[in-house]
Amino acid sequence: MTVAIVLLALLGSAWLLAVIEGWMTTGRLSPAAPLYSGLAHLGRESIVPRSPDRVFFEAAPVLLLVVAVLGMAVLPLAPDLIIADLGTGALFINAALAYVLVAVIMAGWGPDGAYAMIGGWRFLGQLIAYSMLIVMPITAVAMRAESLVNTAIVSSQAGLWNIVYQPLGFVLFFIAAMALAFRAPFDLPTAEGDLGGGVDAEYTGVRLAVLRLARLTLVVTLASATTVFYLGGWHGPLFPPWAWSLVKTLAVAVSMLLVGRYLPRIREADLMRWCWILGIPLALVNIIIVGLLILVVP
Amino acid sequence: MSSDLTINSTGARQKRPSLLQKLVSRALARNLSCLIVPGPEVALAHGLDIRAAGLRISTTPRDASVLMIVGDISEKMCDAVAVLYAQMPRPRAILLVGGQTPSTLPGADISSGLSQDQLTEAVGRLERAFADGAFVDSPEEFDSSVLHARIEYVCPMHPEVVEDEPGSCPKCGMDLVAREAGESTPDHEHHHDHEHHRHEHEHYHDQEQQSHHDHEHHHDHQHHHDHKHQHGESDDHSEHEHSGHDHGEHDHSGHDHEEHDHGGHDHGASGFMSMIEVTKDLPRSADGLQMDWLEVPFGPVFPGLPGGLKLTLTLDGDGVTEGQATSLVGMATEGEGSEESQESEGSQESEEMDADTFIEHLASAIPLAPVSYRLLACLAIEQAAGLSDDQATTQARNSALERERIASHLGWLAQSGRQLGFAWLTQRASTLQLKVRDAGRDRIAELEPELRTLGTRLERTPLLKSRLKGIGVLPVDSSDLRGPVARAAEDGGDAWARLWQRLDEIAASLELLKSGEEPELPVLRDIGNASGTGKATVDTPRGEARLSLKLEHGKVKSYKLDTACSHHIDLVPKLVEGQELGDALLAVGSLDLSPWEVIS
Amino acid sequence: MYAQAFFVAVFGLAAIGFGVVVFRTSSMVRSALALLFSQTAVGCMFLAMQTEFLGVLQIMMMATEMSIMAIFMVMFMMDPGGLGGMDMSHQKRFSIGAGVSAAVVAIAVALLSDWGPVAEQVPDAEAQTRALGMELLGRSMMIFETAGITILTAMIAATAVAIPVKNLASKDNKEASE
Repeated sequence: MTVAIVLLALLGSAWLLAVIEGWMTTGRLSPAAPLYSGLAHLGRESIVPRSPDRVFFEAAPVLLLVVAVLGMAVLPLAPDLIIADLGTGALFINAALAYVLVAVIMAGWGPDGAYAMIGGWRFLGQLIAYSMLIVMPITAVAMRAESLVNTAIVSSQAGLWNIVYQPLGFVLFFIAAMALAFRAPFDLPTAEGDLGGGVDAEYTGVRLAVLRLARLTLVVTLASATTVFYLGGWHGPLFPPWAWSLVKTLAVAVSMLLVGRYLPRIREADLMRWCWILGIPLALVNIIIVGLLILVVP
Repeated sequence: MSSDLTINSTGARQKRPSLLQKLVSRALARNLSCLIVPGPEVALAHGLDIRAAGLRISTTPRDASVLMIVGDISEKMCDAVAVLYAQMPRPRAILLVGGQTPSTLPGADISSGLSQDQLTEAVGRLERAFADGAFVDSPEEFDSSVLHARIEYVCPMHPEVVEDEPGSCPKCGMDLVAREAGESTPDHEHHHDHEHHRHEHEHYHDQEQQSHHDHEHHHDHQHHHDHKHQHGESDDHSEHEHSGHDHGEHDHSGHDHEEHDHGGHDHGASGFMSMIEVTKDLPRSADGLQMDWLEVPFGPVFPGLPGGLKLTLTLDGDGVTEGQATSLVGMATEGEGSEESQESEGSQESEEMDADTFIEHLASAIPLAPVSYRLLACLAIEQAAGLSDDQATTQARNSALERERIASHLGWLAQSGRQLGFAWLTQRASTLQLKVRDAGRDRIAELEPELRTLGTRLERTPLLKSRLKGIGVLPVDSSDLRGPVARAAEDGGDAWARLWQRLDEIAASLELLKSGEEPELPVLRDIGNASGTGKATVDTPRGEARLSLKLEHGKVKSYKLDTACSHHIDLVPKLVEGQELGDALLAVGSLDLSPWEVIS
Repeated sequence: MYAQAFFVAVFGLAAIGFGVVVFRTSSMVRSALALLFSQTAVGCMFLAMQTEFLGVLQIMMMATEMSIMAIFMVMFMMDPGGLGGMDMSHQKRFSIGAGVSAAVVAIAVALLSDWGPVAEQVPDAEAQTRALGMELLGRSMMIFETAGITILTAMIAATAVAIPVKNLASKDNKEASE
């Protein structure tokens, strides 16, 4: 039952995001558009490139989808609305998200096309830039909760949300989450202007539909993670807990989509440089500040 | 439904009668995305609002269901278009907007004129065609000679031996290996990697970014096999080069490879291979890491570049080692002193051209700046005819030129937005371009605040400066710079400076329009039957264009055109060399090359 | 209990299967990712054996590590796509011998060791994590810190060695002065 509800919430959020995305690009708000788009993808032929690494080519979109769903599985929508409240939930999220990289590499290598391949390796090249900024802020979050259990992390924010307690961590995590979901302006692996679609470029038909769904789901999962770690999860007045979780998650997801619209794509070298010389030191500072706060403030 | 509202059988899918298919057809019809050839900037320059017509603009053929061809396209582009069509997933359709069907394609599914109303109406027909005819009983293969690559057989040791049939080398008796005709002998200096060989194959007859359809390829399996041969061969070469083994003595005894049927692809032939040995003579790129170089075409229909421009980059990882740009849609004009009349885009014109025809011809050959070239032609002909300037018309014409400058720069901004993944900029600039394009003075005065805030917004956009600053710095000794590129060379000469130069020019043109006359399209004054020679120079949006022509009895006998882009395109190799891929493309984009204005 | 044994076996077999794929393919990238999935299966074995933290950690670390290995393969190997049909195995006789003897030793250790009494109840994941943290920051701190620093040093050293000397003349001078 819980599984069904969470999956439904995930799918619903992805659908809502697709509607909003369509609204932003076409200027028309059409709730049926994602449905039609999905059906149209089913109707299109699904082409396999000339000499692909077939296993990678087929597996990549599915792996991306699975990873996004697995990530969602350990995030609570409400105190008891969680598929698996693991004892190592905060670490599990990292583990699941690490496979986004694997999926992108597979999607890049699989079709045997230069653009896709460069896109895939680009994503790996940026690994330090985003993965460290996912892991280190989560460390500070877990420090405050004194637990890796995601429900405990949400409970620890009952009085004060982490976005206030450790704003630095929130900013870093939000940026890194966008980079991990490779949304604009961090869409380096799929850059249309540079790589003509990159890792997405060779997928058509059903496979493309799965890939698009996976990418939207990934955004929802990351937004949900942001909510759980920084925005107090289900906490909020009046409305039931799950509603708060959903509203916050969608707000974060939509802001991820919006930010990209108003920014040019970041330079690869800049992203890397800023993460090394600014991001990682700041994440360390964040950990130190949170550590001091925990020790000093009772 | 009438029979003309179905999709060409080379574009439709196999029909399986079911309710689901009907539903899917309807979904397809509501979800049309079009790949615009030569490019969205050309559609914009023609004043077509694709989004308003109900189509989504797709950036890759894989994601497109409609191939939209705007205007007439050149012979070279026809080949590229055929490849694009082959890459599109079925069901797919061809929409012609104001042009002829390219010779390489099956007939157009829907044709329309070059106006917004006609386009909207055509999209309606297209939707019905998809709803009714996306699935047919007997779909056909789309086949075109462009898609076939001839296989020829070469000796790995003796590159001069090239045969049409498989066999053995007359010089050394080795088995010949297959390769696609037209490809030069694998250059071991540059390409060591088999994987990359593979890419090369793919891109060689592709001309475009992606590989062919599997199913379009009759000899697909054949190819695959051939690749193996090829790689075996080149691999072999590398061993030769670096360890000096004789090929004949490559024995594989002691190695239990089952599929060892062709000469020496065994790395393990001499125990562990030493990467240091193998790579020591390879050229090194800027980062000092020896990697395989890979030649990748960008264009002629690439989302980040103006349509018709083909950039061939040699990539070393994510870095560009060398590159060059060619135009597939450039004007073909006669050389200096030649007596032949001009011949363009395959159309056989008579020896000489009527003055009005000439003007129309020139204006339509350059869709991105038709007014400027119309003005240029008018000026040159009038001078040849000995007419003196007329104050009123000159002012009106100049206003039209300034208006086009604003529109053209907006078009460039939209294109840059596409390249930078900056959706807001693309949308804003293209909306403004459509409004400015044929606006009167009053309308432009109304639009002025919007145009000016564009600059302010760009100034405040985070990341933009760091993205553009220092990108595409022109070499110090660059000569023949013209227009915004030349004017921006003084303050930095990078992409950022060029952006601001163009924004400043928009502001300056606005001022000129305010004080000038109502813009009027240049129309040739009556020249009668005059003869003579004339020269004119117009500062087009992309820089000065010069035209000199010879007029005989009211007809243009010969002409010589010199444009800014013809010179700017030569800057490309220096701009991209040693840059990262994204920076290199941005540098090329910042030049605002119009491939139409490149004279070949 | 039986379910647990079943899953341990399944993941164990998967680990072995992917391990075999590592050598059965000629593509470097496939090989690297097969190794990744082999290690992931080992991580899943940990999970099935109720050592959650170790399992999740294993699954997480291997993803990035093996991906990095894949890109190094592509950068430095000649035929990362495996189009030349390269054989991944070398020194067959030696490696078969080494593999068999290692397996024998491992099985012998497994069978002959005194594993103590079977635990009826394992602590839950949270308690395990806590215990592990206490261990890492207590008795084993020195070992882990030393190992960590050593690996970091090795990585930096390897990178430094791999960067070609830009100015040979100055290097010679330095060597001469030493």
